[in-house]
Amino acid sequence: MKSSFAKSKKLFLLMICVAAFPGRQVAAQALDTNALLKPATDTWPTYNGDYSGRRFSALDQINSENVGSLTLAWVFRTPAHTLKSTPLEVNGILYFTSPDHVWAVDARFGRQIWHYQRKSEGDHIGNRGVAMYKDYLFFESPDAHLICLNAKDGTVKWDIELADEKLGYFATMAPLVVKDHVIAGVSGDVTDIPGFLESVDPETGAIQWKWFTQPKPGEPGSETWPKDSDAILHGGGMTWMTGTYDPQLNLLYWGTGNPNPVLVGDGRPGDNLYTCTIVALNPDTGKLVWHFQPSPHDLHDWDAVQTPVLFDADYKGKPRKLLGQASRNGFYFLLDRTSGEHLVTAPFIETTWSSGIDPKGRPMAKPEATPSPDGALVAPGSDGATNWMAPSFDPQTNLFYVNARRLFSIYYNTVETKAEGWGGRDRNLWANSAIRALDYKTGKLIWNHELGDGESIAGILTTAGRLLFTGDNASNLLALDPATGKTLWHLNVGGHLVASPMTYQIDGRQYLIIPIQDTLYAFALPEKN
Amino acid sequence: MAVPFGCHRAKTSHHRRTQLECARLYIFRGVIMLNWKFTASAGSLLLLAVTLSPPARSQQPESQQSSNARGKVTFGQSCAFCHGADATGARGPDLVRSALVAHDIKGDLIGPVIRDGRPDKGMPPQPLSADQISDIAAYLHARAKEALESSGVPSTYPVQKLLTGNADKGKAFFEGAGGCKACHSPTGDLAGVANRYPPIELQAHMLYPDDKEITATVTLPTGEQVSGIVSHLDDFVVSIRVGDKSGWYRSFRRKDVKLDIKDPLTAHRELLPKLTPADIHNLFAYINTLK
Repeated sequence: MKSSFAKSKKLFLLMICVAAFPGRQVAAQALDTNALLKPATDTWPTYNGDYSGRRFSALDQINSENVGSLTLAWVFRTPAHTLKSTPLEVNGILYFTSPDHVWAVDARFGRQIWHYQRKSEGDHIGNRGVAMYKDYLFFESPDAHLICLNAKDGTVKWDIELADEKLGYFATMAPLVVKDHVIAGVSGDVTDIPGFLESVDPETGAIQWKWFTQPKPGEPGSETWPKDSDAILHGGGMTWMTGTYDPQLNLLYWGTGNPNPVLVGDGRPGDNLYTCTIVALNPDTGKLVWHFQPSPHDLHDWDAVQTPVLFDADYKGKPRKLLGQASRNGFYFLLDRTSGEHLVTAPFIETTWSSGIDPKGRPMAKPEATPSPDGALVAPGSDGATNWMAPSFDPQTNLFYVNARRLFSIYYNTVETKAEGWGGRDRNLWANSAIRALDYKTGKLIWNHELGDGESIAGILTTAGRLLFTGDNASNLLALDPATGKTLWHLNVGGHLVASPMTYQIDGRQYLIIPIQDTLYAFALPEKN
Repeated sequence: MAVPFGCHRAKTSHHRRTQLECARLYIFRGVIMLNWKFTASAGSLLLLAVTLSPPARSQQPESQQSSNARGKVTFGQSCAFCHGADATGARGPDLVRSALVAHDIKGDLIGPVIRDGRPDKGMPPQPLSADQISDIAAYLHARAKEALESSGVPSTYPVQKLLTGNADKGKAFFEGAGGCKACHSPTGDLAGVANRYPPIELQAHMLYPDDKEITATVTLPTGEQVSGIVSHLDDFVVSIRVGDKSGWYRSFRRKDVKLDIKDPLTAHRELLPKLTPADIHNLFAYINTLK
């Protein structure tokens, strides 16, 4: 739907320094827009490496035969920020972020090129990274602004407000560039505010479309909310994470967040579309094409923002364009991404909350899993069976990989009157994490690699070198055999991987980039002297 | 690898907080977690925690508290009929979620609405003094703050809410199907346990007491055996304090030794997926009698 907010949008065109070096040729550093349509090899031009969200790299210089000789290429330390972003790599430069900060760093040698800082109000919980269009970068700020930077020097080209920070909005996600659209989402489920996706013009920041995660009263889907209340206007559904895109179908795939108020649904009876939903949108218009809801009427903070991973593979003997999601509620979903047809629902951890699958393929909740004043013991806890850390699909093994957590938690409904914001909270008891490899056709477990007690938030990268990179809960980086889950290489790096690894090759050398807490580590094979 | 990493439990309780992508500030065991950061050298988490008990809103200056309190009374008399006693809306809109309240600074936006009303929407002007308006603004901001901080369970959570079970049935479960008495005794380790924790902690502790130590015996290729408290365990390394916590630290490559781990919480982990709501609440009612 078109936004009524477009006219009131605060648009600051800060044309600074664009012509600071008018004689210099800068086009060589710009992103070829076609690079977004090709698999990542010498470049990693978007959050997931490419539009598919598979996090599979075709590079194989570092491979299962030689991974044991992996060595440090360089280290880049940032000042006291936890890096939760996946860097982009374009023409020899890495671009990565933390809340309020963007860095451009030499991808070969690890030296800083520039550092952009913008102090802001709002939630500083994390930032996933930037998007790139030609020679501009796009960055979201804790006060829910979308900022366009010149990639050459980090100067601001424009800065727009996506949403009102005073209402509880903030922003964490890496935007997605599709053609001449910058697609940006927002965060914030502490207050009861509606989520949305917005598309803006990369050149000017002008709004192109805005799609709210709740329909307007009277529109299709509004029947899943109560008629006689304002619940639908305060229903949450944040767009926390970067979506995926199929250029042939020209469809954008996005997961949406949990409904508000969180944990208590008395004021919002119904399925609460389009919260906890995978949606397919037309990127040119923002029109909804199809939807599938992993968690109808969510009462456990199980958003469905985990990457909708796109892959083409056989299903029941026929080649299909598929979409797989390992969702926070503990279930793996397989859909036909052309039509949204549901194909598979299967648990990827042992859950305790579901009584079965409904005819549409959606797990049904047991009444006793509802948060209660005396406490309801449920697995998974609200942090989820998985969360924002990247899953991966490896076309060489045909396996879908997910960081899976067995997490028992007691959920309390603490509401005395009308629920506002959160209607309670859960308390974690025991958690244990593993990398799990699933048969994409069935969701069945092929192998399980334990990461240890606790909730891992390590993302996954697979490569054509027959390697799966991730980290365990004891500060070890791991390279696993993607076919078996066996450890091929490990290193105690003295800190946790709280982001997702990425890789690229420059001048004939493959680099593996791993953010550990506040530091970026680049690994490579030893250089020949 | 089949062996659970039980010895990371101490870390786990910190580590799990890094998961909270949706709640930046919440109350946990009576402590408000404001932030955290990693100390890269130690590879462990340093929690920046501020202990506030009781929770945040009573930390406000007294004058502000009394302004809130007066505002609540004035609001109840002049506004609650339409906006609800707790300001969450009735005939009139919910003011806890109001954008105008969110942008108001000490009544600068709320004041004109109260004084002038909203005749187009049926709200009459209210003849209130500047002080009364200031108090109402303070009350509404306090209500909005409560909603902002609603994602938590206070450590003072009342025991009455948790006492929905039957203590006799809980005792029967303890002695029978639950298998609790294999390790625990109401007159031994659990004597007075209900006095040692606030009720909400007691319930969590009953289900999973994550402060128990794991012990292990390491058998070296020479046949030498080393036993003690596990201080680190992963796929590659095991390290222990020999004998007890005060013992010397020794570490071993997992692939070089035989490892026999005794994790006292194995039974709890096996029980968690089997417990019914009745089991939990009956058992809590019983454990709560152990004073």
